[in-house]
Order: sequence, then structure tokens, then C-alpha cells
Amino acid sequence: MREYETVYIFQPTLESEEIEAKLESYHQRLLGDDAEITAVEHWGRRQLAYEIAGQANGYYVVAQFRTEPSRLQPFESALKMDEAVLRHLVVLSEGESPVLPSLRGEDEEDEDDDRDDRDEDEED
Amino acid sequence: MTAFRKSCKLCDRDVERVDYKNADLLRRYITDRGKILPRRATGACSRHQHQLSTAIKRARFLALIPYIEGYRG
Repeated sequence: MREYETVYIFQPTLESEEIEAKLESYHQRLLGDDAEITAVEHWGRRQLAYEIAGQANGYYVVAQFRTEPSRLQPFESALKMDEAVLRHLVVLSEGESPVLPSLRGEDEEDEDDDRDDRDEDEED
Repeated sequence: MTAFRKSCKLCDRDVERVDYKNADLLRRYITDRGKILPRRATGACSRHQHQLSTAIKRARFLALIPYIEGYRG
């Protein structure tokens, strides 16, 4: 049993019900034994940094789960077969937050500190 | 090129793990063309520079940041 994190990029044209249904069916493949979906976070439609399959936008979803490594192979092959999934990434979870970084409300003060540091360095 | 920096900014901020989903953070560690900045420019320690490298490559794959900025063709 290991902790994983997956990022899906769906076609931006899908209805939210379709996306929910797809997530449900994919996650069903991971479940069994003690497997558990620990987080599903919808980032929503975002602009892609470059076009994928002719699309400039994609619907991002981040999911975290705990499952047996042997369940990943069928899970990933299902994703690869689905043309509604522009791209997906499965990585071992390192305890990162699934929430969209810009919504996390991390301390802005640090950012300012960085800039101050840089100014000082350049004076040196 | 950025001036000499004594300490790793990520260490200063007690970053345990560089998150590949945090595109705003990663953008500070790539050039305006999208290349990964070398350690001599970022001042990052070995551990964080490695994490940055992996995170930037994952973020590129997910189209959160570009492979090449401004490429048309």
C-alpha cells in the first residue's frame, strides 16, 4: 500500500457531470482492500502553457489516494485509452497539498522578504 | 546573472518538499525562455536544486509552465 497523487487534465469541453462520472469509474479501479481516495481537488479550467491535442485549455483535477501498486497498471491504461483525458501524471505523494497553489494562502510576507534579500545581494 | 547568495532561499523558508504544482514558485527558477536556472544563479542547496529540477520537469509535462517560452512553430 502506497500513497499516490494523480493530476488529470480533461478536455475543457466536458460537462462537470461527465468529469465526475469518469473520475468515479477510474477511482473504482483503484479501490479494494484498504485502498482509499484521500482527496479530490478540482482546479477547474485553466489555460495550458502549450497546446495539447489542439486544445489551449484543460480541466485540471488533482486526486490523492492510497492503493496497492499492482492496481496502477489497469488504472493508467484506462486513462491512456480515454481521449477525454488530455494528459495525466501519477506520482508518489510526498505530502503535498492537492489544493491549487494560488488558493493556499501561503504567507505573502516570505515573498516580500525574498525581494528584499535580492536587493541586498545586488548591493554587495 | 544573479549576485552571490550565501544561503538557499528554500532552506530559509523551511520548504520540506518543492511542489511541482506550484507554478508561481517554479517560475522563479526558470529563465524567461523556460530553461532551468543553474544552481550558481539560484543559490539553492543540493537537495532543493534536485527537487526543483524534478518539479520543473513534472510541471512542464502538465503544461503548468512551458518547455520553451515564446516558441511559435
